[in-house]
Amino acid sequence: MHADRSNRAALIVLAVLLSAVGALGVATSYGLFGSAVEHESLLDNGFARFVGRNGEWLWVVVAVLGLLVAAFALRWLLTILFSTDRTATIRIRTDGPGRTELASGALADAVSAEIDSYRGVDAARTRVTGDPQDARLVVIVTVEDSADLPGLVGRIEEQALAHARTALDNPSLPITLDLSVATTQSSRVS
Amino acid sequence: MRLVNRFLAALLSVALIALAVLIVIEVVANRTTHEYAAVRWHSAYEWMNRTIWQAGSVRAASIVLLVVGLGLLVLELKRPRPRRLQIAANKNIDAAYTRRGVVATLRSSVTDVDGITSAAVKLSRRRARVRAVASAQDAKVAAQLREPARAAAQDRLDALRLKNAPKLTVHVAHRSH
Repeated sequence: MHADRSNRAALIVLAVLLSAVGALGVATSYGLFGSAVEHESLLDNGFARFVGRNGEWLWVVVAVLGLLVAAFALRWLLTILFSTDRTATIRIRTDGPGRTELASGALADAVSAEIDSYRGVDAARTRVTGDPQDARLVVIVTVEDSADLPGLVGRIEEQALAHARTALDNPSLPITLDLSVATTQSSRVS
Repeated sequence: MRLVNRFLAALLSVALIALAVLIVIEVVANRTTHEYAAVRWHSAYEWMNRTIWQAGSVRAASIVLLVVGLGLLVLELKRPRPRRLQIAANKNIDAAYTRRGVVATLRSSVTDVDGITSAAVKLSRRRARVRAVASAQDAKVAAQLREPARAAAQDRLDALRLKNAPKLTVHVAHRSH
């Protein structure tokens, strides 16, 4: 998902802010900034006095910033909830003036079906991610524990994935292959 | 961790939206009617004006913020367990076994050894720790199963042809009485 890095970065910023405010509060309340400060009220400081003096315009600025933050946070929330890295089409390389596109679902289904037919494969799922002109094939295969794993990996790479590259006329099509091992032996016979 | 992060990020974004909208509403209400709209911020202001830094509530809140902040920081900066372990000699394709897949196959390789009833596997980037339980109650019999269990797990690990294979350790415990 596109938002994963942003999520982590935002949470790190939040953690640093919380730690800084907490550390400042602990340090002040235990007299690290002098015993006089710990007996002062929470608003008896330069920052609070600045806000008090400039409230007329400062709160308007804060409200405008609030609108911007709300808009940004809404966009972020929608990205977290609804964004996907999948692409619906793949652009095929052609020399002519026209444009040829392939429905990514068709390629994904074909690759999954071919891998699914191999002995030792329990299940196969394929999706196409990225942009139409810079697509990546992501294949997730669950193999049976009893399968000849190196042989099966070789077969997937040399047959199903090679066929996909040939079909797209793209020998360097980026491919991610994730292999999982079924914990219970499949009853399927192939 | 990614799911936890997505949940926390969604909570944070909702909190930011709510806070920002509330601030806008209160600023507009104060400008037009000189009253609060939803939050009695006047009483909060008075409380802050009469509360000193040494107050117990301020100390408690500061400690809670510090602990939560540091906890979240450690959680985010900690290197996560590997989700996938790459297969060697795949220059053209980014091929890997999932961590769960490697755990499952190591566990089954050990439980396939005669005399072993169950096994648990912990897998990090560098180490694979297998803790198996023998069907025998005798500690000596269980100790004799350690080498066959280790060999079975190592054979399976070698067969995966991982780019950076974790170092394997196997312990076999006897069944408790």
